[in-house]
Amino acid sequence: MKFFCLFIFLSLQTPLMVIGDRRLIESTCKATPSYSLCLSTLLSNPKSSSGDVSDLGLIMVGATKVKATQAIQHIKTLYRVHPELRHSLNECSQVYMAVVKADVPSAVQALDGGQPKFAEDGMADTAVEAQACERSFSGRGQKSPLTQMNKDIENVANVARAIIRMLL
Amino acid sequence: MTTTDLEHATSYSPLPDSDHHRPPPSQWRRPITLLSGIFLFMLLFSSLIALVINQHGQQQIAGDGTPLSSNSAPAAKKVLEPISRGVSQGVSEKSNFQLSSAAAVVETYPWTNAMLSWQRTGFHFQPPKNWMNDPNGPLYHMGWYHLFYQYNPDAAVWGNITWGHAISTDLINWYHLPFAMVPDQWYDIKGVWTGSATILPDGQIVMMYTGDTNEEVQVQNLAYPANLSDPLLLDWVKYSGNPVLTPPPGIGSKDFRDPTTAWVGPNGKWRVALGTKVNKTGITLVYETTDFTSYELLDEVLHAVPGTGMWECVDFYPVSTTESNGLDTSVNGPGIKHVLKSSLDDNKHDYYALGTYDPISNKWTPDNPDLDVGIGLRVDYGKYYASKSFYDQNKQRRLLLGWTGETDSEAADILKGWASLQTIPREVVFDKKTGKNILQWPIKEVEKLRSKSTVYKKVLLEPGSLVPLDIGAATQLDIIATFDIDSTVLEAALEADVGYNCTTSGGSSSRGAFGPFGLVVLADESRTEQTPVYFYIAKGTDGVASTYFCADQSKSSTASDVVKLIYGSTVPVLDGENFSMRLLVDHSIVESFGQGGRTVITSRVYPTKAIYSAAKVFLFNNATGITVTANVNAWNMDSANIK
Repeated sequence: MKFFCLFIFLSLQTPLMVIGDRRLIESTCKATPSYSLCLSTLLSNPKSSSGDVSDLGLIMVGATKVKATQAIQHIKTLYRVHPELRHSLNECSQVYMAVVKADVPSAVQALDGGQPKFAEDGMADTAVEAQACERSFSGRGQKSPLTQMNKDIENVANVARAIIRMLL
Repeated sequence: MTTTDLEHATSYSPLPDSDHHRPPPSQWRRPITLLSGIFLFMLLFSSLIALVINQHGQQQIAGDGTPLSSNSAPAAKKVLEPISRGVSQGVSEKSNFQLSSAAAVVETYPWTNAMLSWQRTGFHFQPPKNWMNDPNGPLYHMGWYHLFYQYNPDAAVWGNITWGHAISTDLINWYHLPFAMVPDQWYDIKGVWTGSATILPDGQIVMMYTGDTNEEVQVQNLAYPANLSDPLLLDWVKYSGNPVLTPPPGIGSKDFRDPTTAWVGPNGKWRVALGTKVNKTGITLVYETTDFTSYELLDEVLHAVPGTGMWECVDFYPVSTTESNGLDTSVNGPGIKHVLKSSLDDNKHDYYALGTYDPISNKWTPDNPDLDVGIGLRVDYGKYYASKSFYDQNKQRRLLLGWTGETDSEAADILKGWASLQTIPREVVFDKKTGKNILQWPIKEVEKLRSKSTVYKKVLLEPGSLVPLDIGAATQLDIIATFDIDSTVLEAALEADVGYNCTTSGGSSSRGAFGPFGLVVLADESRTEQTPVYFYIAKGTDGVASTYFCADQSKSSTASDVVKLIYGSTVPVLDGENFSMRLLVDHSIVESFGQGGRTVITSRVYPTKAIYSAAKVFLFNNATGITVTANVNAWNMDSANIK
């Protein structure tokens, strides 16, 4: 009986919680360069409903990591299929490895540890690395097969960086 | 669970085959139906409320006043301005790209290996690779100076923080040792952060440091050498009862770090300080202890300054106002002032103030409240943070170490595989002539690296002069230059360049009546790249002349992804003094000392052309109204042994 009442009570809280945190998510995303990307990324992660700005930053950093990891996988596939793009793909692989191995862990640790100033560098760099990957093709007069992917990563990293800057 | 105690079950999953736990159905059927009905109704009702509020909320969301249509998804085409939160003093130094908008990203320069490898210094302390930040626990023991430092063993960005360790007999040539402490306990698993050493009267060494726990709470821990008679202090033991301090009530769990060296209080107990904040007021807490394992928080804070935010790396030490030697941290009495220093998290600058410490009340009072900690003098006006001093009992000096980060892009740091330097240790003394500031001067030991000397005497610099100095290899230099001007010209002027400011001045090419004049280093022949360090005299409407000492990075490199600010501040110049500067040039770092160390500026520069043998040095006078006479003594500097 008591359990039932508790269940009802808790369920009734859910819509109220959603109201409050939706406001935070929306106002946070307003202050980033890509409102819709920010909103859809955060809302698709259940943790965003109970997070503070630092948690939202962590979600965005996590999304950046996912996209960068996917990029590395995609690059490996392209490498086999497009030997003529080898050099550029190799550069791209390296920069995204740096993102996954250095930038993302640094940003996560810094956000977790309450040192957002160290977190910003990681996400700023990720956007730069995404651009560098894209330019590695144009620099060789080649058409990039990763344009959309690079743009996505640059955008999500910029959103993460904007959220982190709110904590500074 | 063996009981049928449904009353106390909060997360209860029915045991699969325990029939006798299932409530008899006949007793519950009707209430269940009723309750389900009520529940569903209330759920629907509150969801409806939520929906209404959300819709209403959405219509208020567009901050610029344009209402969104109630059905428009956030995917509306409207581009919303990102709110930039750069520091109000001007360009934010938080990010290495002078950007306040996160949307714009500067293109990475195509750095070559030659350019990047040139950036490594010849005589500044840095580990062979990866990221470094704060200096930790500096001390002298059994003939060796010890430097510990925040280090990431895995990458050229901050993270996985470990205590690196190096030793030296002269603070110039170093040996790298194995890590002193790694994040291997629950109380420091997320980072072995900054700390300080206290040497007890019996020679015991006590190291207090901040650990970031497995739950990201900042706590203070105790460590000590495994073997005190080991001059290398290779192994360190963490106290079994760690942490010894946890955040007190009212202090955030992420606002509690960087314990200082302890000093003896009037009751014979030790006192340790930690910086923190309450709302936006930066404060320093003081704890008392007899054994460094149990502490008592004193009621009154050492000091507080509103609006300064979180105080990191607090440093608190006495200086003699009469003698020129340094003092042990516990010394107090007549003829002594205390320096209180703090690294401000909000703007990543180190500030200090001189004042008086009353040990009975445990209160420090600034000599000049208008120039209190965080709102007055900076320790260094350039790229410099987390500085920490210690008493060198070997030579009776107060020595200061400081972290200089990179001002190029993180991408370049990752490419070159390292980031950050420590400045050359500086001796700190009270400035008896002005009575209002400290003097910082590179330790004498750095002079042993001087090799060839080149002297220029009485070089006459008319307005608009540029004189190349023939110094040979100009990437590792120690230069002392003095400048004399005809003071009658200056006195005659009513006012000049009122409201001058190094940062907004436009740099060395902005000509005024009485400035700029000084040296140009790391310049190529045609000066497409150059780093001028200069004096600029301005005269206020009150007829009082102020001298500014500035380091100009605005044209230091043709690369666009490096910081190109102009750093600097006023520097006191007393009657009868000429203008003097000392520069330590070491590849990508320039440490500039004005008027014997009254104003110090550390710069990081990343030229693409003015490197290796292409780097040159010039004297210049861009003032329009005065002729300057310069004397220069320049030494080429050998590299230090850092291995």
